Amino acid sequence: MSRTHDLGPAMIKVDDLHKSFGDLEVLKGIEAEVDEREVVCLIGASGSGKSTLLRCLNRLETFDRGHVTICGHDLTGSKTSLHAVRRDVGMVFQSFNVFPHMKVLDNLTLAPMKVLKIGKAEARQRAMALLEKVGVADKANVYPTKLSGGQQQRVAIARALAMQPKVMLFDEPTSALDPETVGEVLGVMKNLAEEGMTMMVVTHEMGFAREVADRVVFMDNGVVVEQGPPKQIFEAPQHERTRAFLSKIL
Amino acid sequence: MVTPMISFDFGQYMPPMLRGAGVTILLVVVSGIAGTIIGLVFGTARSAPLAPVRWLASIYTNFIRGIPILIILLFLYYEIPLLFPYATFSQTITAVIGLSVYSGAYIAEIFRGSIQAVPRGQLEAGEALGLNYVQKMRYVVMPQALKIAVPPGIGFLIALVKATSLVSVITATDLTRAGRNITSANHQALATFLVVAALYFVISYPLSLLGRWYERRLA
Repeated sequence: MSRTHDLGPAMIKVDDLHKSFGDLEVLKGIEAEVDEREVVCLIGASGSGKSTLLRCLNRLETFDRGHVTICGHDLTGSKTSLHAVRRDVGMVFQSFNVFPHMKVLDNLTLAPMKVLKIGKAEARQRAMALLEKVGVADKANVYPTKLSGGQQQRVAIARALAMQPKVMLFDEPTSALDPETVGEVLGVMKNLAEEGMTMMVVTHEMGFAREVADRVVFMDNGVVVEQGPPKQIFEAPQHERTRAFLSKIL
Repeated sequence: MVTPMISFDFGQYMPPMLRGAGVTILLVVVSGIAGTIIGLVFGTARSAPLAPVRWLASIYTNFIRGIPILIILLFLYYEIPLLFPYATFSQTITAVIGLSVYSGAYIAEIFRGSIQAVPRGQLEAGEALGLNYVQKMRYVVMPQALKIAVPPGIGFLIALVKATSLVSVITATDLTRAGRNITSANHQALATFLVVAALYFVISYPLSLLGRWYERRLA
């Protein structure tokens, strides 16, 4: 079931995006749009270009041709301030990438203090509130290496949220998790969606996509094959390739 | 017939021997610190965003690592003053400069490797949070890289203790030179160099212990 709130204007706009790694063209003219407060799940087989597309959205990956606009920043020009873009765009990685040499709380306060120049007391207060929200407040003063994968990923989500982003990108956030901890991470993401966060999620969790996404985008071989409301994609896929993919994983 | 005796007059020869050991320790400490600073700068420069900075750092480390320390010392002591008369220094200062330049190149390689050993995801997480290059290096990469650099760094310092013995070729009175001076007076090479060897061991073994302690602490 889709959420009930209204969607706002476009937060992410991707137009004719092309990207190659050497001779291998991984994105072959992607068109995509994500509106404010919308949750879009990107599905597709490994190697279809989902993660690459996501990584182009905050310029962790450069692209060869086309246009990307995100939160009002045009990523096409080389003069674009990437710091300004990344301030507005949070990202969660498959491998968590929490900072192992810092306590959980310091993981959350680093960027707000250094990038947003927020005072230490305020940064810590906000960080505690976020840890509370993702359910790991009791781990604030331990090192992340002592945490389970699910806890680390929730810390990573809180760390991204500490920058108060306008958009959150999730790159297969549960693919590296033990099955029993997948649910707690998806639960946090679902809450976030319900609060109205604009989200783009690369995922293999079809249950999550079906339940939480406003729209599902199916990619194959570097192109968007089909997109639409989850009900339509999962129950009445129009395209042969979508049907083939879904029959393999559902 | 006189049986050859191993004897060493500690009362007479220990003071100059210990002065030599003091010079050796001084060389290790000063060039170790200077080399670490140089290594930190050039090791970090190897992953700098600007290509010319990377090239410069690469030229320095590869050039120095390709030359024996003996040649570096001889060149600094005998040739540099001919080319640049103002750059004439005492043996000890020349030894410190030579060893620092030498250590800097090796320690730079250690840091370069350690920086590369920090997982790529850590850098991406820092970038995605909006940290700039300097902030990313300072708060995310270096703290992790320095930890990785400690064991090979200690290994290099142990090698450096022994490498300092080469400064005797430019007549700096380190432990080895002190030993040679003493043998020319007492003609007891075996006994004298046994003492020299023991003193080198006393200087370098604590470093081995330090390295082992650190690795146990990390495990």
